[in-house]
Amino acid sequence: MGLGLRRMAGVYRQYWRINILTTLEYRENFLVWFAFTFVYHGSSIAALWIVLSRFPSMNGWSFRDMAFLYAIWMVAHALHNTLFSTVGEIPEHIRDGEFDRLLVRPLDTLFQAIATPGQVFPDELVLAIFTFVAATIYAGVHVDALFLTFIPPIVIGGALIDLGINLIISTAAFWFVKVDALRWIFVQLEQEFTRYPITIYTRSVRLVLTFVFPFAFMNYFPARYFLHKGMSGLGLPPVAGLLTPAIGVVFVALAYVFWRFGLNRYQGVGH
Amino acid sequence: MIGTAEGRRRPRFRLEPYVEFARTAMAREATYRFDVFTTIGSFVVRVYLLRMVWTALYAHNAAPHELSRHAIITYSAVALLMGIVMDIDQTRALKDKLHDGSIATDFLKPIIVPFYFFADGTGEVLFHAVLLIPATLIALLIFHIIVPAPAVLAAFALSFFLGYMVGFFLNFLLNCSAFWTLEISAVQLIVTWLTDLFGGELIPLILFPAFLQNFIYALPFAAMFSTPLLIYVGVIPPSRYLESMGLQLVWIVVLALVSTVMWRAGSRRIVVQGG
Repeated sequence: MGLGLRRMAGVYRQYWRINILTTLEYRENFLVWFAFTFVYHGSSIAALWIVLSRFPSMNGWSFRDMAFLYAIWMVAHALHNTLFSTVGEIPEHIRDGEFDRLLVRPLDTLFQAIATPGQVFPDELVLAIFTFVAATIYAGVHVDALFLTFIPPIVIGGALIDLGINLIISTAAFWFVKVDALRWIFVQLEQEFTRYPITIYTRSVRLVLTFVFPFAFMNYFPARYFLHKGMSGLGLPPVAGLLTPAIGVVFVALAYVFWRFGLNRYQGVGH
Repeated sequence: MIGTAEGRRRPRFRLEPYVEFARTAMAREATYRFDVFTTIGSFVVRVYLLRMVWTALYAHNAAPHELSRHAIITYSAVALLMGIVMDIDQTRALKDKLHDGSIATDFLKPIIVPFYFFADGTGEVLFHAVLLIPATLIALLIFHIIVPAPAVLAAFALSFFLGYMVGFFLNFLLNCSAFWTLEISAVQLIVTWLTDLFGGELIPLILFPAFLQNFIYALPFAAMFSTPLLIYVGVIPPSRYLESMGLQLVWIVVLALVSTVMWRAGSRRIVVQGG
């Protein structure tokens, strides 16, 4: 077991070495994609600012509050994109037969899929951390020991919620082969539904965002706790905002069980 | 070996090949049927979401006098309906053909190559336009969007068509840049996001802060979405139709001229590379 972990650590180090070398090789490409990331998040925040400059309150949330709400999601999402975006490429590997090669190698299949090099670089994460620091100051959040202790696990928990969804969709590819449309729907839903406090939604939407696909734990519940927003709409106490790490672990564990189930039934797509 | 766009004698213009190109494109699109489900599903969810967002905003703030809550929900629903046909990378065949080199043989064919891309894109767009029927029914029956008077509706349809042409030329220009650089998908995505925001697809431009409005109206994006949408909800009154659609027409002419220049310069480059 100890030896296995050491081997994995070695592979993982190589994975990052290749990623970084690839990025350095295609520098212009990297800059263009970084500009894309910047415009993407920039235009999202700009849209919030424009709306809230005309309508100053969204169910009691000001633009400052909404910026903090966005920034928590952004860090968690960027952390997921940096560490686990490769999970989203599994359906492609299944389709072109590449995946079958991972099955016969003496390392965990999911780990191998995660550590398949591409052109991953932590630029979005760095941008997200800067945005988060700026939003925290801007929103006037009281930074104390509790905040500093809980924010890292909350962000990791949020990234795990993202990973869970990503893994569930990729597992669906064992049966459906082409899941791009499904993934696209979920990416959109997550982006748009995490942008606003869930109190603006109908009760059924709030229930889905809390208990089925727990996106509300990525940012709404933690933000509500740190911004001292009383109302919830689902009767959950403010302190529920600190549960994100636990929710993330449970959710990703469930997704992993589903993954193992799919993997055991996988027959190949006929290459 | 390879004829240039100009050096070749111009063939007598016939419409039939282009109709056939459009038909082929429609048939090609029809093979991706799951997209139908995705498009309609995402349309319903997004209108539903925007209705909740606008409802919350109107409940807690003073409503803007130009747009009632019902009008702004209608605006968002119609914007998303327009997006079904506007948000298509319709001339991506140009980029693909530049990447794999097959554009060279297109220059040998007795066709006007840019018209081929227009026909191909139109075919794809027409296929997606079929989706407008169920989506519009949903918008009417579930979301009860406002239906304006027939004359306004006709003006909207005309302005929508002009907006579509602005979108076509912008898309063609972006794909034309593949003559010079290969990595353009990120640039295209950036332009898509800017169009969503500055074209008024997400938020009506009249709600933007005043200092931003001057800047936005100087960009072509407003001619794509904002003009037809504001005609639909009545913010642009009939007395200003001529002026608004005239501006759309100006953008079409400007972008068509720039496209022609880019295309000439680009296709000359192909010949140089091909020796």
